[in-house]
Amino acid sequence: MAAAGVLLCLSLPPPLRASAASGDEPGDIRLELSPRICTLTGKDAQCDTVVHANWRAPRNESLCLVIVGRPEVKRCWEQYVEGSYSIELVFSTDLVFQLRDVDLQQVLTSEVLRVIREAIRYRHKRREPWNIFD
Amino acid sequence: MRADAQRTPCAVRVGVAAILCASGAVHANGSDDDCNGPSDDCVAIGRWNVSVALGAGVRTNPLISGKDIPLVVIPQFSYYGRRFFIDNLDFGLTLAEHGANTFNLIATPGYDRVYFFRADLQNFFIGFPDASAPLRPAQVTAGTPGAIPVRPPAPRITYLAGPEWTFKYGPVTGQLDLLRDATGQNSGDEIRGALGIPLLKSRGVMSVNLGFTWKSAATVNYYYRVPILYAGSAAFDPFIKLGYTLPLAGKWRFNAFAEFERLGNGIADSPLVAERSVATVFLGAIYTF
Repeated sequence: MAAAGVLLCLSLPPPLRASAASGDEPGDIRLELSPRICTLTGKDAQCDTVVHANWRAPRNESLCLVIVGRPEVKRCWEQYVEGSYSIELVFSTDLVFQLRDVDLQQVLTSEVLRVIREAIRYRHKRREPWNIFD
Repeated sequence: MRADAQRTPCAVRVGVAAILCASGAVHANGSDDDCNGPSDDCVAIGRWNVSVALGAGVRTNPLISGKDIPLVVIPQFSYYGRRFFIDNLDFGLTLAEHGANTFNLIATPGYDRVYFFRADLQNFFIGFPDASAPLRPAQVTAGTPGAIPVRPPAPRITYLAGPEWTFKYGPVTGQLDLLRDATGQNSGDEIRGALGIPLLKSRGVMSVNLGFTWKSAATVNYYYRVPILYAGSAAFDPFIKLGYTLPLAGKWRFNAFAEFERLGNGIADSPLVAERSVATVFLGAIYTF
């Protein structure tokens, strides 16, 4: 899986020019997800969708995009000011996307793709022993 | 039995009052606290539930020359709102629900018409109707020796309405309906009661249902009266049903049942009726959409 991460780095487009603002902090890195919410209707057990992740930093950064609890998903960039990544995911609970340093030690920023279940209310069925199939 | 039965209209009124009082005594708001997901007892609010049974079966027709009703394709559907519900051809309004007790006001079609008209809507829900096959008793030609000209009965679609009490006591499910013709056809009364008792519960469920239908003389005569010859009295029809259901793969489940209903004298003594009982058997599978 690490090899896949390296391969992905090699296929990236050339880095954009770094920002001159030397005082920018890692917290200035912005990560955006699309979609940001997956709504499950009553019959859906899980979300199955392509998720687009875009990030932008004020200066060149070397970082990796990971999903908490999904070690198989890892996309890294070296000295880039922005990046994007699309992946088809199947999930039933919230997914936390994180941008980390290349050693994966520090979380630079994170976003959550939330799963919202349609509120279904239940009531008692009619009890009908008189009916043909009850 | 008949004397008791004929006093029952008063019992119907008393029962209606008792049920309405009881429904007022329980919480006004329905209590669905123990319904947090789909189960045998609980159903989602605001959704249609559709299933179809496919198999082989038959319901005997007690009328003279009446053709048995085949059970082949049996669609079933229901919809539950917060209060309102549709259960096949029944409509209802839940007045109160508290724990094991539920009090509804329901409207349900009069049943006996299924023996007279194969195209009766209820036959869609218990079998495979064939509108070209009349179920009404055979007629003889004019001039047949000994024959008395009698207009054959042609009961219309009727709807009965009234309160319903359903309950659960341990594993036993109970139902009691106190009904009156609401369509102005016969002004008859009907009481339906039944207990559902699970006998065996492992992967599948075997259960026995014991119940009865009491029909007032007005109801009985609407269907079974023969002018000049016969006027019936109230009838008490007990039944027993043994059923077995087994979940299969996916949305399929196996279902088999056998039911025996004995017709009360008020019906069975009618010249239109040849059999004193109605038997129903079915073996098949149910698919839930």
